[in-house]
Amino acid sequence: MREPDFNTLATRLLRNGISPRHARRAVNELRDHYDDLVDAAVDEGANSKTARLQAASELGTMDDLVAEMASRRELKTWAKRYPQLAVVVYPIACLVVLPAMPVFVGIANRTALIRWSASLLAAGLVTAVLMLVMQLSIILG
Amino acid sequence: MAQSNPPFMSGVPELLLLRLLNEQEMYGYELVRSIKQATGEAISLGEGVIYPVLHSLERKGSLKSKRKPVRGRTRVYYSLTKKGRDRLEKLRNDWSRIQSGVATALGTASNA
Repeated sequence: MREPDFNTLATRLLRNGISPRHARRAVNELRDHYDDLVDAAVDEGANSKTARLQAASELGTMDDLVAEMASRRELKTWAKRYPQLAVVVYPIACLVVLPAMPVFVGIANRTALIRWSASLLAAGLVTAVLMLVMQLSIILG
Repeated sequence: MAQSNPPFMSGVPELLLLRLLNEQEMYGYELVRSIKQATGEAISLGEGVIYPVLHSLERKGSLKSKRKPVRGRTRVYYSLTKKGRDRLEKLRNDWSRIQSGVATALGTASNA
């Protein structure tokens, strides 16, 4: 048996609709479990390579782990649990959220937005003053 | 290769996990070792498969978890909630009923 590829496992869990929180935590726990199994095998006298292979075997196949997680509805994202609702809610949410995105982005980057507004205001004032000066010079001859 | 559980084992890992966690909080690796020890290795779970069961029980409110840093690793310790204790009681009763039913049936079958 090959050594487990936990990054691939995480991707497969997400692709199977497991919520990111559960996928991330399961992968972290499995990685720690695997390390514990390797340590235990080494303590029993196995060399590093044998210990890793033995640990992978005891942990189970990636297919089994993905299938077991995917068989539990409660571990999936809400969109996977309620697909019919998601079909209705997502478009409505997009209609509401997309026009409001500039506001959200503005709030998230308010320092840059304030700086940008101040620059714009300053540029406007300078332009207005210049135009006023030009206008006055025309009027006053 | 880790042993897989035959279909009639459905629900047994849950019962064992709740029973063990009723005594003290444990993390996944510790739980698998305890199950092997408590059942005299008669029940050997595919070790990784314990995590979906734990997550599922937590999601249903039977367990709660907390992270603890132990020797450079962050362990997730699970413990039983009130709901979990109720669930354990129910599963225990179900198991006793099934066990006595099967024992009766086997007794009847062997007497026939």
